[in-house]
Amino acid sequence: MVGGLRRLLPRNYLFTILGIGVGVAGLVALGAMAERITAFIDGGDRFVLGQISVAGEGMGMGTGFTAGGLLREEKIEQIARVPGVAAVQAQVMLPLNPTTSQFLTLTQELILGIDPTAPMPNRQLREMPVERGRFLRAGDRGVAVLGADFASSRHLTVGQTIELGAGRRFEVVGVLDKTLTAPDRFAIVPLEDARDLWLRRDPLLVQVFAGGRGSMSRRDLNTGAAVAWADGVDGDELARRIQATVPGVNVTIPGELSRVLRQSTAFFSALLFGIGVLGLVIGGASLSNTVTAAVFERIRDFGIKRALGATDVQLLREILTEALAVSISGGVIGVVLALVIGFLVDARVLREGQQLFLFSPRLLLFALVFSTILGALAAAYATLRIVRLSPAEAIRRGA
Amino acid sequence: MRVRAVGLGKTFRGPDGRPVPVLERVDVEVASGEFVAVAGASGSGKSTLLNLVGLLEPPDRGEVWFDDVCVSRLSRRAQCPVRGRSIGYVFQSFLLITGLTALDNVLLAARYVGRARSEALPAARALMERLGVAHRAGHYPAQLSGGEQQRVAYCRAVLNDPPLVLADEPTGNLDEGHAAVILSELRGLCRERGASVILVTHRADAAALADRTLRLRAGRLEPGGGGTT
Repeated sequence: MVGGLRRLLPRNYLFTILGIGVGVAGLVALGAMAERITAFIDGGDRFVLGQISVAGEGMGMGTGFTAGGLLREEKIEQIARVPGVAAVQAQVMLPLNPTTSQFLTLTQELILGIDPTAPMPNRQLREMPVERGRFLRAGDRGVAVLGADFASSRHLTVGQTIELGAGRRFEVVGVLDKTLTAPDRFAIVPLEDARDLWLRRDPLLVQVFAGGRGSMSRRDLNTGAAVAWADGVDGDELARRIQATVPGVNVTIPGELSRVLRQSTAFFSALLFGIGVLGLVIGGASLSNTVTAAVFERIRDFGIKRALGATDVQLLREILTEALAVSISGGVIGVVLALVIGFLVDARVLREGQQLFLFSPRLLLFALVFSTILGALAAAYATLRIVRLSPAEAIRRGA
Repeated sequence: MRVRAVGLGKTFRGPDGRPVPVLERVDVEVASGEFVAVAGASGSGKSTLLNLVGLLEPPDRGEVWFDDVCVSRLSRRAQCPVRGRSIGYVFQSFLLITGLTALDNVLLAARYVGRARSEALPAARALMERLGVAHRAGHYPAQLSGGEQQRVAYCRAVLNDPPLVLADEPTGNLDEGHAAVILSELRGLCRERGASVILVTHRADAAALADRTLRLRAGRLEPGGGGTT
């Protein structure tokens, strides 16, 4: 194969291939960053479209992305009775670091308390994908399942322990697969443990309990609930029905939340588009320029071949074959280069729980097809310019 | 093959855009098996004449005939096989392709006339053997001496047994020994194979080998310069 490639490609194509490789690497790297942002936005979108999130009315301290107040047990029971509701999962969602803003919860590290005996309410995430260890079980206490970024940024794995606030340590029993969206930054603990953490953190809440408000129990300590709807039920309609029939709750309508999320990520979408266009322009210009320059550099050779009787078609076929071999070789080198760079950079930023690149198969395939087609077009353009010259003129220009 | 150039003229554009006539109304006739030298000062139009006769560029005026075919009026596409089969070129600067080995450079001549590599290979090796460059077959031009490069270029020029060989100062970059080899080969082409040879040269000894010598001055044949036989 190497011998065949050596015969196909003149020796002086090495730097051309490397030049194309650098251009394609840039294209793939920018594309991989765009893919990563897309995955994040799409993942968040799918998540909010998969469940109805309900919280108590008003702004409660330490609440999570539902941004509501206390959702008491009686409200959860009322919600469960609304026709069309399949399941309700009480939740406690707390920011890991209470001093950070609660409004950036899509990228914030969160503690999520759930009842492991209740079915997962999210239609898009029927069960959390566990990479190592296991998910929470009934009767678990003092254990945590960590999101992929949460675990990797702390070099945590199954069997180790982590403090999740107020001096409470949790044993890690599982680490989730990457979802490329919010759950990657979750620490999921049993609901009762999350309630403990909340009580320890929030002095106001402790005073409420200490003040003898007899009607309050630990089961009322929920920041919100995730509601699953039955098959054939429209999620948005059900959310509106809950809002209408259960007073004193704050219901997010999946479709509207998705729209809000899309609007709030509009900047990222624009950025993504810009990155994509930039990648295509930079990578494409670099590649076509390199191929065209390489063909023009050999103008003397083509003049000689014309003198030896080569027809336009023969030359075009020859140059296209070389250009395809060069473009594909450069494309493969570029993809490998981008993968290596992406791997090294991600290994570095993973320490902060981040991932910058997502090398999807469609991106890699696109880069190879793009470089091949563009290389062929650039070579064809250069060839058509060259074959218009007389052999003597081509030789003179290449001298 | 009888070669005739009738009223050939060529004008280039100078750096200031003005037309610079380099060849004017040149008539040349070369008989089959004849060895003709073209002499003249630098800039007199010798190489341009060779390029026009060899279909390497189109004349502005006049015609080129190979036997009964006016080859200068053929389409660009139709001229390709004429160049490949009927003409062999030997250039002063060798014009070997740097990315190909000596053997592949020689075989290049076969590629564009539809000869299979396997069919042309024995002839290419035999030629290289005769010219003393067979041991350099796998070397690239940059790894060869000037004399070796010119011998490789000569092998390429005659691989297809063309009836016309055009040699533009083929000994200009060679020492006496290597120059003698090339000149002897060109002479042999005429005598043994009946090929017509047009040799552009500054060397008196080279011109002396020719059947006759054409003298160009400022783009015109000198009176009595032997343009036609």
